[in-house]
Amino acid sequence: MLDRRGFLKFVGGAAVGTLATPVVWKGLDDLSIWTQNWPWIPRLDKGNNLNTYITTTSKLCPSASGMRVRLVNGRPVRVLGDVNNPLSRGGVSALASAEVQLRYSPARLKRPLRKTSDGTYVAISWSEAETVLRAELAKAAKDGGLLCLSGDENGTMNELLSALTVATGSSDFYLMPGEAQTTAAAWKSLGGKGRVGYDFARSDYVLAVGAGVLENWGPVVGNRRAWGQARPQDGEPAMRLAYAGPVQNNTAAGADLWLPIRPGTEMAFLLGIAQILFARGCQSAGVESFVQLASEWTPDKVAAVTGLAPERLQMAVEQLLSAKAPLIIVGTDLAQGGEAVPVILGIALNTLLDRINQDGGLRVLPVAEPVFSRAMSYGDMMAQDFTAAVRAVAEKKRPAPSMVMIYEANPVYAMPGGAGVEALLQNAGFTVSFSCFFDETAKQCDLILPAAMGLERLDDVSTPFGFGESFYTLCRPVAKPLYEARAAGDVLLGVARQIGLDLGYASYKDALEAKAARLGIDWGKLMEGACITSRVTLPLQSLIFPSEQIATALQGRLAQPEKGTLAVATLTKLAFGTADSAIPPFCTKLVTDAELTAGELSASMNSATIRSLGLSEGMKVRLVAGEASLPARVRAFEGVAMGTVALATGFGHANFDAFNNGKGSNVMDLFTAVEEPGTGLAVWRCPDVKIVKA
Amino acid sequence: MEDRQESTAPQKEVCSRFKCRLCGVAPFFVGIVVALVFGWWLFPTLMFSSQEQPVQFTHNTHVHDAGLDCTYCHKIRPDGTFSAFPTTAECAVCHQVLLGDSKAERVFWDEYVRTGKEVAWLVYQKQPDNVFFSHAPHSLENCNNCHEFSKTELCLFCHVSVKDKAPTYYENRLSGYSKNTMKMWQCERCHANPNHLAGTAANNACFVCHK
Amino acid sequence: MSATQEFRIKWGMVIDLDKCTGCGSCMVACQAENNVPPAEDGLNRRRALNWLLVYRLSNGKPFPDHDIAYLPRPCMQCGKPSCVSVCPVVATTKDEEGGIVSQVTPRCIGCRYCMASCPYHARYFNWHDPVWPAGMEKTLTPDVSVRPRGVVEKCTFCHHRLMAAKDRAYAEGRDPEKLPDGAYVTSCTEACPNGAISFGDVNNPEHKVHELIKSPYAFRLLERLGTDPQVWYVSRREWVRRLGDNYLNNEPTKG
Repeated sequence: MLDRRGFLKFVGGAAVGTLATPVVWKGLDDLSIWTQNWPWIPRLDKGNNLNTYITTTSKLCPSASGMRVRLVNGRPVRVLGDVNNPLSRGGVSALASAEVQLRYSPARLKRPLRKTSDGTYVAISWSEAETVLRAELAKAAKDGGLLCLSGDENGTMNELLSALTVATGSSDFYLMPGEAQTTAAAWKSLGGKGRVGYDFARSDYVLAVGAGVLENWGPVVGNRRAWGQARPQDGEPAMRLAYAGPVQNNTAAGADLWLPIRPGTEMAFLLGIAQILFARGCQSAGVESFVQLASEWTPDKVAAVTGLAPERLQMAVEQLLSAKAPLIIVGTDLAQGGEAVPVILGIALNTLLDRINQDGGLRVLPVAEPVFSRAMSYGDMMAQDFTAAVRAVAEKKRPAPSMVMIYEANPVYAMPGGAGVEALLQNAGFTVSFSCFFDETAKQCDLILPAAMGLERLDDVSTPFGFGESFYTLCRPVAKPLYEARAAGDVLLGVARQIGLDLGYASYKDALEAKAARLGIDWGKLMEGACITSRVTLPLQSLIFPSEQIATALQGRLAQPEKGTLAVATLTKLAFGTADSAIPPFCTKLVTDAELTAGELSASMNSATIRSLGLSEGMKVRLVAGEASLPARVRAFEGVAMGTVALATGFGHANFDAFNNGKGSNVMDLFTAVEEPGTGLAVWRCPDVKIVKA
Repeated sequence: MEDRQESTAPQKEVCSRFKCRLCGVAPFFVGIVVALVFGWWLFPTLMFSSQEQPVQFTHNTHVHDAGLDCTYCHKIRPDGTFSAFPTTAECAVCHQVLLGDSKAERVFWDEYVRTGKEVAWLVYQKQPDNVFFSHAPHSLENCNNCHEFSKTELCLFCHVSVKDKAPTYYENRLSGYSKNTMKMWQCERCHANPNHLAGTAANNACFVCHK
Repeated sequence: MSATQEFRIKWGMVIDLDKCTGCGSCMVACQAENNVPPAEDGLNRRRALNWLLVYRLSNGKPFPDHDIAYLPRPCMQCGKPSCVSVCPVVATTKDEEGGIVSQVTPRCIGCRYCMASCPYHARYFNWHDPVWPAGMEKTLTPDVSVRPRGVVEKCTFCHHRLMAAKDRAYAEGRDPEKLPDGAYVTSCTEACPNGAISFGDVNNPEHKVHELIKSPYAFRLLERLGTDPQVWYVSRREWVRRLGDNYLNNEPTKG
């Protein structure tokens, strides 16, 4: 028998023998390989290495970035720029760049939900959801009490939704307030026909007033491409840019001249420009009342109101006058809820410089008729004022709608805190939201329907706001909708048909084909990713300068800020989402101390302002405006106008996803909706704030 | 030690002494033998799990009998990527109908062509994620600037033969790699070969093969 | 030592700082292209890895004379990389034609000497395993391996794109060692809507960057350390160029 000694000998022999086998070396090798491939680290899916590309256009990015989506074995993995897109010409915004990954956002709405009476959400099937939707729409069609809000900015979806609203006997179809409505209101009060586009790419001198033309205004990717291409690294720039605004934002960073003006003083600034232009002999027909209005706005008076040094104002005018194709673009940093009067003044200045319908000037674009017979026209849609409607309901000037339908919009987050959106949703009989994300608005609705994202559905983009040419392209799906998401257009057409509201098309695709036919574009070409542009303009009729409106508006805007209070300027970056999205997971690394300090909103002020208020950098404060107040931390930044505090927008999502929650506060809480004197447009305004040490 | 042990055991004969000396070292040698058997025979068997290909494919049928060129199925695409295995749709160009009455054909037609499902081929030469390999530079044309390889010779330099029958696929239970996954030294037969560096663009820089 | 090897091809990046407006499109494109996981808190330096990071520069003057600029910082792919000489396991090398400093993460032992030695803070350590929100791992590209915790990673000038460009050249029967201008560009170059980034072989007169780096306004970061970076910056603003190196008060700015 084997005794202990014998056993040890055996073990010794086995040990020696093992050294002569691959066990140890192979074992160690495999073990080290094992440590390089932890099962919880995702593997790469190479498949058979097949790369395919689909060109489409972003519905997420307001600048309608042309995208070339790379798919590996049918899986979308990357958004690249599409060089053949005449609008974005190969550029792609940070927002559109993150769009493929955003499909898998943790905030993505996965299945239809029904809100129960105790406030919890129950998952339901699509057929149950459609049954509920059908019943509620049928009810609304009886009492004509449907209110519909769309977050789409440039698609045929708005025609569908407005046609549906009209078919139920209501006229309450609204778009989320944006720069387009402001500009349309301004254009209307000047008596203009068609719509306004800015031929940014062919201008050699752009004066942007408030409009973040290099960050978030209009077709920004196209603007930036044009601006970049006009500035060769090894030659003289063919385009110069001046930016007038309270904060040295990303547009100012690219501008040759920054004209710091206090928030809300754009009118004075523009009148100051007009005054110098008139003094230098600029003339055009029918501007007598404009001359009179501008006459008192000498550089010194402008300086007193705006805080802008007279020399800089003079410099801007000199540059405007020496340019061959100058262009003035007026907008707001927020790109929502802006005032119409500054835009009127901007258009008037373009007229004065004879820039209407010129290359590189302001162009009057024709508007296509809708393809849904009952849809609102472009002009009617633009004239619909959601902010005013919400306020009317809050002030009980009109009854609450019996049904509210929201399509890809998040007004609870994006509208001013004092606007009364939540009250509207609470008082409405039934609320339904078509949304890609389980956002603040969807959470308040009775029926929540998961919408397919732009990359997952057939849709279109028709002349994005601000672009100087008529533009049409399709957004082609690059993947099937995730989870149970569905394209809202087809769901609504089906439901409407079932309750006897025939909108004229069996599917949304049919409507798009009709649209293409109406525009005279070959459907096959569109489905291959073609983008159609046209430089046709409408002849300019003589514009009526609404001097009374402007004078009234000026009255309401000239009050000097109270001592100890600060004007609020916003700092908007496209990467941090839009009114109907939030910060995409791939964009959180773009957040800097300009937006957040120690998890709280950075209240950026120049050091002179900080000193004058007795504050110090990093200090915890509260910004108080009437009832509303926001926590923030003082940050010194010399790129902010005197007496102004700059706050980043896009933060303060309370309950969106881990990439957004717990980051700063929502600036819109400080804002209220007021009626613009003169035009009557409901505009968003932030009252001057007091800074209180927290 | 052994001597001491034996000296303490009295009354031993010479022959049995010798025998016991053998007995004394026997466990040691038995240990060696057991370890060698384990290490060279049992261990490699235990270390790998085996799987057969879902469809018994042979190159003989396709190349020899049907007369297809290799590039009919395995091609470098215009963008330089390698198509690896053809998709079921690509196979179905010929296999629209049952071709012959072999069992493999039946399986392929029933389970894949009719359903449109992709075959989950087991890749003998599958490389880990951190390896970059491209077929484009390892072409017959490039290699035959100096060598005189036949197509088969060049392919078999790295690949296993699927001439008559798809061999059994062995997967390492610990690392999860295929038994035929090439190790770095195998790549370096060419990449680190000084004669080779002069004539080709390839060298042994880390990033030539890693990603 | 391989650290001072000279190459016939020298991939270089030229970034026009006067054209960068800080939108971050390059950073997003970089993350998506190179399978860098998103971070819930992008300001958390232990979680957020940035192969490319955009810094904000200030001219330091008070309002209203203040000016800002943005500086995107990839890996400089130094000609004399300080990271390579300190790596004890040869996980990072500069040994390939083109001069891209390699980083082979399975070989990295996580000692972080390279991070300490890099004057540009271009290297990041994986303190944690990478995590994608459920499902988002389906958007990983097949081009760049996913890194586990415990290793250092950095920008590779999208090296996989160089390999793809070479493969395409092979397929088209062109010389893969003579890629035309634009055949290989990094993801950030392609993504920048402003066209602020140019990329190419600085040794090749047919490539645009060959001339761009000769601009009197071109400079490299901390040039006087002798790292010989392959990333050039261009700015017509003197104060921007001055921030590119540690100048003494009485020293004139180069360029």
